[in-house]
Amino acid sequence: MTAGWSLVWDNAGRFAEGALLTVELTVVTMLLAIPGGLLLAFLRLSRWRLIRFAATAFVELFRSTPLILQIYWVYYVLPSFTDILLPGLAVALIGLVCNISSYNSETFRAGIVSIRRGQWNAGLALGMNSAQVMLKIVLPQAAMRVLPALASTWVSLFKDTALVSVIHVGDLAYVALKIRTETFVILPVLNAMAVGYWLMGYPQAKLVDWIHRRYKVAE
Amino acid sequence: MPDFSPILTRWQFLLSALSVTIYISLLSIAFGFLIGIVVGALRTYGGRVVDSVLGFYVDTMRSLPQLVVLVWTFFAFPLIVGFSMSSTTAGIIGLSAHLGAYVAETVRAGLTSVRRGQMQAALALGMSRLEAIHKIVLPQALIRMMPALGSLCTYAIKDSAIASVIAVPELLRQSQIVVGQTYRYQLVYTTLMIVYFLICYPVARGVDRLYRRVAHLGSS
Repeated sequence: MTAGWSLVWDNAGRFAEGALLTVELTVVTMLLAIPGGLLLAFLRLSRWRLIRFAATAFVELFRSTPLILQIYWVYYVLPSFTDILLPGLAVALIGLVCNISSYNSETFRAGIVSIRRGQWNAGLALGMNSAQVMLKIVLPQAAMRVLPALASTWVSLFKDTALVSVIHVGDLAYVALKIRTETFVILPVLNAMAVGYWLMGYPQAKLVDWIHRRYKVAE
Repeated sequence: MPDFSPILTRWQFLLSALSVTIYISLLSIAFGFLIGIVVGALRTYGGRVVDSVLGFYVDTMRSLPQLVVLVWTFFAFPLIVGFSMSSTTAGIIGLSAHLGAYVAETVRAGLTSVRRGQMQAALALGMSRLEAIHKIVLPQALIRMMPALGSLCTYAIKDSAIASVIAVPELLRQSQIVVGQTYRYQLVYTTLMIVYFLICYPVARGVDRLYRRVAHLGSS
């Protein structure tokens, strides 16, 4: 057993690299999925029915299928349509961004719709055009309201990045499972993986609780 | 017209895989809800010590990926307790333990959302605390929890696909076997997307519709 733990220690560098990639994937995905979600939310509020339908179909498809399958789908099926062979990391990012954008779009849409009609009318009455009202009146108010939901999505995203390990992207889960197959040392390696995620995820979960308390919308 | 024979010739194999997906989803929903209701109620009414101990379980599950929980349950847990279990059993345990934490959070939020006055009124009418929870607080809370619990059900179905990683013979895993035999990635994975959509989407919309009908019962 002690030999096992020293093995974890010997591979600390690889674990750290994997953990770093997990964090990077989370950050980059969220940075891309916020504009992505906003775009989808706008498209779903569009005045043309066809655009509304297409955006809704996209969102509902990605919300109603398992992320692990979406990652496989992007990995195996997308190249055959586009003739482009993407590296695993790019595939993982595409899958995650499509998925999280869909969830974000629902959050943003709810936030935008929750701003009272009177705010729109007042902005228009002051001579703004609808884009200005959206940017200067509605979005700033909606931003505070969507923060708690966005924070929850952040933590699910952090956890969901572990699924990219199935297409051999070297995140923490992949590194740990690889070391396990290389060395046949199971318990310490899997415990180290769990502890690694726990150490990163637990503070985030607590932070989300705090954000929920701080920015709760009163009934 | 694509050639559907890889799927059509293996329809029995894939159908039984689909039934495994539904089976582990339903069982993990049942156990997850059981864990969640007990833990959520104990955290709300059980005092500070119980709350912090169970809070640790809930927050741990909220910080670990489902994949990690499943892999750990199947490969590491048996080494600690000293007996092995089938991948399906491990899958159901891992899925339930993870889901239970989220249900517990929902139940707790639902119970605390019912105004204090409701409890006080029930006690003033001579009900016991348990009666008040059972007859006054819980019925209102359950209605309010419905949307969140409904989406947790779809999460459970979607997350059951992650059990493919520990070789539970569910739909995704068995489809990978078909892909391995036929190299028909596009066909199999696209069909799979449609199948999961056809299962999850009606569940989500059905719960929405049901909730809209009964939402007024949950307001006090």
